Amino acid sequence: MKMKRVVSTLLAGAMAFSLVACGGSAAPAAPAAEPAAEAPAATEEAPAAETAEEAPAAEASEGAITLDMWCIATESDSNRHSYEEAIKEMQTEFPDVTLNWEAFENQSYKTKIKAAVSADEMPDIFFTWSCAFLGDFVNAGKVYCLDDAYQNYKDELPEVMLGNTTYDGKHYGVPLTMNIVGLFANMDLLKEAGYDEIPGTYDEFIKCCDALKAKGIIPFGCAGKETWCVTEYLESVIEKSVGADALNDIFLGKATWNNPDVGAAVDTFQGLVNNGYFDPSGIGLTNDEVKANFMAGKYAFYMNGTWNCADFANNEEFFPKVKVGEFPVINADKAKLGQLIGGPSDTLAVAASSENAERAATYTFELGKRICHYGYLDGCGLPAWTPYGDTSGINALTQAVSDICANADSYVLFGDTAMSADDANTYLSYVDQVYGCQVDGTAFIEGLAKDIR
Amino acid sequence: MAEKKTLSASGYQFEEIKKTNPVVRVITYIFLIIWALINIFPIYFMFTFSLKSNDEIFGENVIGLPKEWLWSNFTSAMNTGNMGLYFVNSLIVTIASIAISIFAALMATYALTRIKWRGSKLMNSFLMLGLTIPIQASIVPVYVILSKAHWLNHYSTLIVPYSAFTLSMSILISTGFMVDIPYDLDESARIDGCGLWKTFFAIILPLMKPALSTIGIYAYLQCWNEFMFANVFISDSAHRTLPVGIKALSGAYTTDWGPIGAALVIATFPTLIVYIFLSNKIQESFIAGAVKG
Amino acid sequence: MADNHSVKKKSDIAKGVTIFFFLLPALLLFISILIAPIIVSVYRSMYDWNGFSEGTFIGLENYRELFTSGSIKFMTSLKNAFILAFFSVFVQLPFSLFLALLLGRKVKGEKSFLSIYFMPVLISTVVIGQLWLKIYNPDYGILNRFLDAVNLGNLKHVWVGEVGTALGAIIVPTIWQYIGYHMLLMYAGVKGVSTDLREAAMLDGATKWQVDRYIVIPIIKPIIRVSVIFAVTGSLKTYDLVRILTEGGPFQSTEVPSTLLENMLFLRNRYGMGSTISVMLIALCFAFALLITAAFKDKEA
Repeated sequence: MKMKRVVSTLLAGAMAFSLVACGGSAAPAAPAAEPAAEAPAATEEAPAAETAEEAPAAEASEGAITLDMWCIATESDSNRHSYEEAIKEMQTEFPDVTLNWEAFENQSYKTKIKAAVSADEMPDIFFTWSCAFLGDFVNAGKVYCLDDAYQNYKDELPEVMLGNTTYDGKHYGVPLTMNIVGLFANMDLLKEAGYDEIPGTYDEFIKCCDALKAKGIIPFGCAGKETWCVTEYLESVIEKSVGADALNDIFLGKATWNNPDVGAAVDTFQGLVNNGYFDPSGIGLTNDEVKANFMAGKYAFYMNGTWNCADFANNEEFFPKVKVGEFPVINADKAKLGQLIGGPSDTLAVAASSENAERAATYTFELGKRICHYGYLDGCGLPAWTPYGDTSGINALTQAVSDICANADSYVLFGDTAMSADDANTYLSYVDQVYGCQVDGTAFIEGLAKDIR
Repeated sequence: MAEKKTLSASGYQFEEIKKTNPVVRVITYIFLIIWALINIFPIYFMFTFSLKSNDEIFGENVIGLPKEWLWSNFTSAMNTGNMGLYFVNSLIVTIASIAISIFAALMATYALTRIKWRGSKLMNSFLMLGLTIPIQASIVPVYVILSKAHWLNHYSTLIVPYSAFTLSMSILISTGFMVDIPYDLDESARIDGCGLWKTFFAIILPLMKPALSTIGIYAYLQCWNEFMFANVFISDSAHRTLPVGIKALSGAYTTDWGPIGAALVIATFPTLIVYIFLSNKIQESFIAGAVKG
Repeated sequence: MADNHSVKKKSDIAKGVTIFFFLLPALLLFISILIAPIIVSVYRSMYDWNGFSEGTFIGLENYRELFTSGSIKFMTSLKNAFILAFFSVFVQLPFSLFLALLLGRKVKGEKSFLSIYFMPVLISTVVIGQLWLKIYNPDYGILNRFLDAVNLGNLKHVWVGEVGTALGAIIVPTIWQYIGYHMLLMYAGVKGVSTDLREAAMLDGATKWQVDRYIVIPIIKPIIRVSVIFAVTGSLKTYDLVRILTEGGPFQSTEVPSTLLENMLFLRNRYGMGSTISVMLIALCFAFALLITAAFKDKEA
């Protein structure tokens, strides 16, 4: 029944290449032909020109059209600004296309888009998460294939970035930003425990946690009410114990969950919980609450998506205190630094039912490129597209993340995005039980091996 | 007649209070007042919450008065959050739903209670089935029906399902009122040559006025805060209602809670004020039509 | 005679047509929006279907899985709903009745108390949920602070995060919010009891509680029945506060049928199983409504 998905592993070399480029572009050496002070809109034109010029010309003959788009960039979302800027620019670039876009709240959007797919009421362009979420729609034949349109964007959008939205060798999504799990640290608190840097080795790291504990500082904050927050920790621990490839194979169903190394890693994670490194109140808190606690100086570390960079950077009081790093390697035989959790997930796709699917496809690539650009400038995440224009104004945190990615070895996509909807929820319910110490590592791997098809 | 009644009632009240043990009376009042405070507290909480920043809402100052009165939360709810428009939309949808629900319910109740026919009991039980249906179960089927009929993104897209979902409750309540209307009236109307239609419109309908506020308040409870249908069926923000608009104030990974509080105040306070002004009428209406089941 | 008969028949037809037209608006709404989806749900409950692809017919397999699979937690959700229903019927309703009787005695400020007690019903569940989250917050919540203040720090809990307390943490606000709702229903009934009847009993030397017990309560029994039906079906369908307070956690221990239903439909992409849960839920609600009606009939007779 299920169609085979092309591996979503982002191959180490190519990935590093694309990100080296983005790391480099921020350096002063980057071709800063245009004055940096100019608005991004101005600096942007040059690279966009090649495609943008021919596309509208072709379209002008076809007359004016209206496209509908749904997304989750609500008024208070940190991505809102990048959507607004990108769309403003698209209006001048594509005067023939009127875009009606609507933003919905994250959780309820999932209900909405699924109901719309069921009833064949999808808008022309829609926001989606990569891998399994989009995959179900692709399987049902509801998504327009973007292979033709992609031919014009090969140079700007590395093919490796399309891994998560490629099914049966065909591309169905335009990635926007990508994010990884970052280890955020409150340096003021670390200093109190005698550390000036985030410890680089696991032993040091544990010592640091003990030192923090001795000072009465809680090392980690994690929202137990939102299980995806727990996975940000657990997946990093597993990856740094068993290695990226092993974990990726499990997530993609190519290897069994019943892997004793994974079980041992889960026990390691539980050890951290049992040692009192985690805030015991965390099990009853939402991510908003935990994040507020972290910013108020209650925790030394907070592991979460790098989309948080924008928010941290916007808080003048907190920003000087925070640094971002990579979780240290636990088992050096199997894992190494540079193996990260994350990848491009936020995606735009075109509905197969769209009357103007072909033009919508080109439009989506152009729009995606711009959203990616402004999102990167705002610190909402790293670009899936090769960055262009002046990127020197990016905040230090996002810059640090981009440096980590420049040295990346491989990426494993968030487990709940990589797995099919049903499996992902089974997985989350097991993760929940691990955090609450209801099951140990062995029960975790055996249970998942049994319950996931 | 009415005056006499109140007189005797107040005399009764006088007598009763005299008889009550003063200690019991004081305890009763203390209890009633404490319970009242517990029930008013959410309103105070909502109001102060709407004027705070995230820092105060999460930890620093959870239940106290705001240290800094952030009226800007209201401006941002009104401007970027578009609450004004959503409020009007909710108002239109709710009022229309209530109106349709009341009308359909009164007609149905008339047929069920004042015309004698076999199967009326069964029909009544059938219509009461509506009280048991969870709203989530019908989203997709109703959505498919509406989409096939090209009937999305209008006010009526919500009005029709809302009136359907409030219908059973409305029938239940109007039954309570309608069985209290003396059947002699129908008889004399028929002798005067009125048909069933005329009897309904000329005689029964005017007498059902007291029922309106009871039915209205229950229907309001079901429509005003409804989120599921509103989220799925309406895709253009021009027709968005308050619950969806309020939800859209929260972001994917971070949320500024102050403006959400302000939006909640905007959504709730007008109703509360109307309720306070009409509460005497509403209570009278409740008493007049105590549900007969 | 025959003539008379046909006249009667004619009038019967006319009556039938009238009845039909009176019922038409209600039936149109009811069948298209409420009954049609149930039929679709029954049909879809026999499919393994994700909501968008082609489904596979699997007969009653979903029903079997629902009751036997440990990972779906349907039985847990039912148990929780029944616990809530129990507290609703045996704590909430008696309290509502108590308030209704108390206010029915013409205490001073009766009208104001009545209005105030009804207010939580009018306030959006989002507000109620947020308020209680602040009360339960493990660090700065009012409840834990209070326990600290009275030196009962060892009773502190992460109220919504611990298996032992999470369900209770949902039940308390759910019950509290709707006390006013039932109170108003019952109060209306209490007020409907004629003053003469009360006065007569009082003159015979009955205390006020005796009047309530032997005169008022029997008269408002039909209202109590309606309240019980609402309380039970409402508990089976409960949704909002669970979503806000616990999200069904910890470890799915506070799932209720409606949250499971939504998860299946829109999170797990198991539309067939979701339909199965909704069919079960409707059947249960209806069965209980009939059962309660029957139970009250017995007593009334």
